[in-house]
Amino acid sequence: MGQKVELACIIDDDKIYVNLVKKIIEIKKLSENLLIYKNGKEALDYFKLIMENATDEDKLPDIIFLDLNMPVMDGWEFLNEFIKIKNNLNKKITLYVVSSSIDPRDLERAKSFNMVTDYLIKPIELKKFEKIFAKTAA
Amino acid sequence: MLSDLQLNSILQDFDIAYWKINLFSKEIGWSQHFNILVGDPEIEEDRFEFFINRILHPDYRYDFRIHFEKLIKDNEPFSFEIKLKLENGKYRWFECKNLKSKEQTFRETAVLLFVNIHQSKRDQYTIEENFFYYRETAEMTSTGGWYVDTLHKNIYWDDVSKKILDCPRDFQPAYEDHMNFYAKEHHNRMRNSFDKCENYGIPFKLELKMVSFQNREFWVRLTGKPVYSEEQKVVGIRGVLQNVDENKNNELNLQNSLDIIATQNSRLFNFAHIVSHHLRSHSSNLSLIVELLRESKTDKDKLDLLANVEDVAGNLDSAISRLNDIVSIQTSLRKERVKIKFEEALEIVLASISSLINRENAKIVAEFQDLQEIRYIPEYLESILLNLITNAIRYKQPGRKPVIFIQTYIENEKEYLEVSDNGMGIDLAEHGDKMFGMYKTFHQHNPEAKGIGLFITKNQVEALGGNISVSSTLDIGTTFKIKF
Repeated sequence: MGQKVELACIIDDDKIYVNLVKKIIEIKKLSENLLIYKNGKEALDYFKLIMENATDEDKLPDIIFLDLNMPVMDGWEFLNEFIKIKNNLNKKITLYVVSSSIDPRDLERAKSFNMVTDYLIKPIELKKFEKIFAKTAA
Repeated sequence: MLSDLQLNSILQDFDIAYWKINLFSKEIGWSQHFNILVGDPEIEEDRFEFFINRILHPDYRYDFRIHFEKLIKDNEPFSFEIKLKLENGKYRWFECKNLKSKEQTFRETAVLLFVNIHQSKRDQYTIEENFFYYRETAEMTSTGGWYVDTLHKNIYWDDVSKKILDCPRDFQPAYEDHMNFYAKEHHNRMRNSFDKCENYGIPFKLELKMVSFQNREFWVRLTGKPVYSEEQKVVGIRGVLQNVDENKNNELNLQNSLDIIATQNSRLFNFAHIVSHHLRSHSSNLSLIVELLRESKTDKDKLDLLANVEDVAGNLDSAISRLNDIVSIQTSLRKERVKIKFEEALEIVLASISSLINRENAKIVAEFQDLQEIRYIPEYLESILLNLITNAIRYKQPGRKPVIFIQTYIENEKEYLEVSDNGMGIDLAEHGDKMFGMYKTFHQHNPEAKGIGLFITKNQVEALGGNISVSSTLDIGTTFKIKF
């Protein structure tokens, strides 16, 4: 592996899933650092905070894995809020929606957001993780 | 005076034939026109008998003989509708009557006139026939006629209309009362249509509820069209009214069933989605663990992963038992409704959560005097109360002692239950549409929130044909309202 992603972000309320992904990232050395939020609101609050201090750009993730079904603020609400602040963030952020939902309506809806690079259905294989990180780092 | 010839030609023109009867000799003479009508037969026998046997329709033979005799003997007036066989062999209707003689005292001849009434008789039959069809149609379709004389302020209803409205046949509706025959909620519609028709001649066709003489409400289809005077002014409105109560009710029932099926279908779809989604999230975790197990090199890593398997198993188990709760709502639908006192149901619920109530020092006020009991499935009512009360306590405003006010009442003949709290409230503009969705929780830092209570409550309420709504103000409180 040549390049490595600097900072990845997972927004998901499933603790087990988050732990497993964390392990994968550690084992495969996919990212230097990892941000973990258990719902959309926590992540959004963080991004808004960074936005206020323009110098903290390196604290913005290169890649976001966003779950859909979460308490407090779900993935859809997060996307709607994130659109509004995205242009103020001076960094290219790749965003993947990750869900165990195989409902085609969810897929359609996710694709309707320009900033969503792809809709990934859980479980994601290790190889797929590697590919995604490699693409983002390149 | 007219000559006999002239007279004969006039009678012929009017299609009137006659007999001249000599009262002494009993001799009967046929007028020229009569002869022509019956085909100028050669008669060897008695002329009267020939007429009776060959010309007169058999149905009238007996009566004709009697009437004729009375005319001859007692000069009794003779007027009779008969059928005669004409020269073409077909029977035609004639009115047969005597010509009244002016000389009262002495009579030597009598005259019997035969007036062709076939056309008018046929018209009369057609009218009778049409009337028959009209009446049968009106009866069969429950359609009555009505007329409102707007000039003289009078109302006329035909018999079918009166029957539809349960009125006695001799009932005469008063002009100023006629609005009473329409259901209150449709007064405006009716008045508008009526005024438009009266003032501008615009016809109307409405479906609305009427109220019968016996105070029974039912649906009718009502049409009205203007009646114009010679000066082209609207002087009345007339139309028909049809009792469509059965159809309308069927239509409403059908719509109702359709709604139920649609909600059940969407619930089923939702359920399938939930099953797939929530079971898949665990199975996908399992397969991730398996992959990682393959990759992991040290025993410690492997043991860590095995601990994860344990967690997944636990989660999977509770997910399945929650899904089971939802399925059991559908199966318990077969249970019978029984009369339950709200008071008793609440007692059972409060006993089961007494520790929570004590811990939170919650105050629960119940007012059931307006509606003390209901026919319902006891488990449901308890589950509904339990969910709403624990919900209210769980989402209390921090630092404020939770107060829960429970009230039952009847409004517009419908039974209601309201549960209000003084809790933290919820932003309905943001979360309202998912309030009753599954696994939706709205408040941070609340590990007890599983997001299933309201989903189940809504399902239970709807399964029994009711609905639930919510109103809420942030930091003030929330009210759930159930219409049973």
